[in-house]
Amino acid sequence: MKLKKIQESFYNKLFLLIVTSFFMCFQANAENTKVKNIINDITQMYMSSMTYIFKNQPLINQRSGDKSALLGERFIDNIKKTYQIKYGEEFPQVDHFAKEMLLQAMIEVMDDNKELLYDNEISFKGIIPATFAFQLSAKLATKGIGLKIKFTRTEDGIRNKLNRPDSWESSVMKKIIKTPKIYYDENALLHGKPAIRQFTPLPMAHFCLGCHGKPENNILNSGKEKSQWTNIDITGFEMENWTIDDFGGGVSISIEKSALK
Amino acid sequence: MQSVNLVQKVIVFIIICLFSCEAASQSIKIGFTDYPPHISFDEDYKKSPLYQYINKMLSPLNFEIKYVKLPRERAFIELSRGRVDMLMPIPLENNEVKILSLPIFHSIPGLCFKKENFIPILSATHRFDNLTIGVPTSIPLVSALTDSKARLIPLKGENVTSRGIELTQRGRVDAFYHPSPIKVYHRKNPLYKEVACSYFHGYSTPIYIAVAKTLPKEVFDLINSTYEEAISKQSYEYYFANRK
Repeated sequence: MKLKKIQESFYNKLFLLIVTSFFMCFQANAENTKVKNIINDITQMYMSSMTYIFKNQPLINQRSGDKSALLGERFIDNIKKTYQIKYGEEFPQVDHFAKEMLLQAMIEVMDDNKELLYDNEISFKGIIPATFAFQLSAKLATKGIGLKIKFTRTEDGIRNKLNRPDSWESSVMKKIIKTPKIYYDENALLHGKPAIRQFTPLPMAHFCLGCHGKPENNILNSGKEKSQWTNIDITGFEMENWTIDDFGGGVSISIEKSALK
Repeated sequence: MQSVNLVQKVIVFIIICLFSCEAASQSIKIGFTDYPPHISFDEDYKKSPLYQYINKMLSPLNFEIKYVKLPRERAFIELSRGRVDMLMPIPLENNEVKILSLPIFHSIPGLCFKKENFIPILSATHRFDNLTIGVPTSIPLVSALTDSKARLIPLKGENVTSRGIELTQRGRVDAFYHPSPIKVYHRKNPLYKEVACSYFHGYSTPIYIAVAKTLPKEVFDLINSTYEEAISKQSYEYYFANRK
């Protein structure tokens, strides 16, 4: 009788333990999915802004005219439209501080460039997808909010040394460069603090090749005899001769765990 | 339980009222230094975005506030002697200066060129090879410039910005370094037509609001918490970017 009671108590406790573990596991998974969704949204928002900047090079570089589409809330509205076209889905809800800060930083970056945008004597303003992305990363770094976004690539293909991959990014790229896939790390560190990090590899885009491709991709060479072609791109760098099949780098996003609370 | 909550709320309300009454009698003097376009002495400075942001932030405290314009050289003397209670905007060059906990904005250093020689992307440091660049001697330069092959020559004189523009125009230098080119390169500056500036993104420095050491601790704490709350609701940088 006593043994039966002990057995019953043991099974009850075991059942309780299993249910609790299952519940905790379910909760952790739900939390993980939520964070992954936030990071995916941020990646796509970031990419949409770069696409918008690329598509609007004529407006950015034109010497006069109304450029308000590149500033303030109108700029964000245009990025939202670009997002819808690019991903075939609605722009994400801005339901997390990281998304909100990213959109604010986009407005601030374009405002930093306002005088240049309206300078009628400068034709090439240098506001291209890569420089915009870097300015955005630099702006977010000043906010002290535990969010870091970086558009990076393997060490050998970096033009701006401030965009160099850190050791985590380098090791991730090593792992995924041959079969690119999203790499998610929930136990990483950022500035020595526990963080969630994700690296999203990007396929090489045609717009990248205008600067990083071969001389035939260089817009400075369009309409010129081949003998007059240059391998220096519009930004002043030597072109890398990449092709559409090369590794396009990726977006690295890190969020300190304390910032998620 | 509900009645305890109510009592707590009433007590907090009374404390806030008492504190507000005390705060109402507080008068403070705020000094501004010229830092266009954030605060510009060339126009009515009360129209400047920094003045408007700070004034709006402090108004609920019911302080009696007096604002004064100060030349940069005198501003720190006034602050150290307690003749102004707050001073802005200031780069933190001296660690002994007491500041509010968060920067008000960030300045990005850059180079200003004659327009026809403009280099828009300064991470392309190989383009500095063989360039002569004027640099102020009193401030640190970014490593992207010092590590480049540019020939750096010191800018002398009382107003190094004017000197830099003058030398750039005369072709004596290809560009000059400025810790915050936005002060030069904006349409309200009559010299806007003369130069175009680009930035060393990634090398920004924080700009702060300094506070006199003589300011009572409780007043400092109240201003600082009000400031932190204002920044978290809408940062000055975002406010500035959205100005009309």
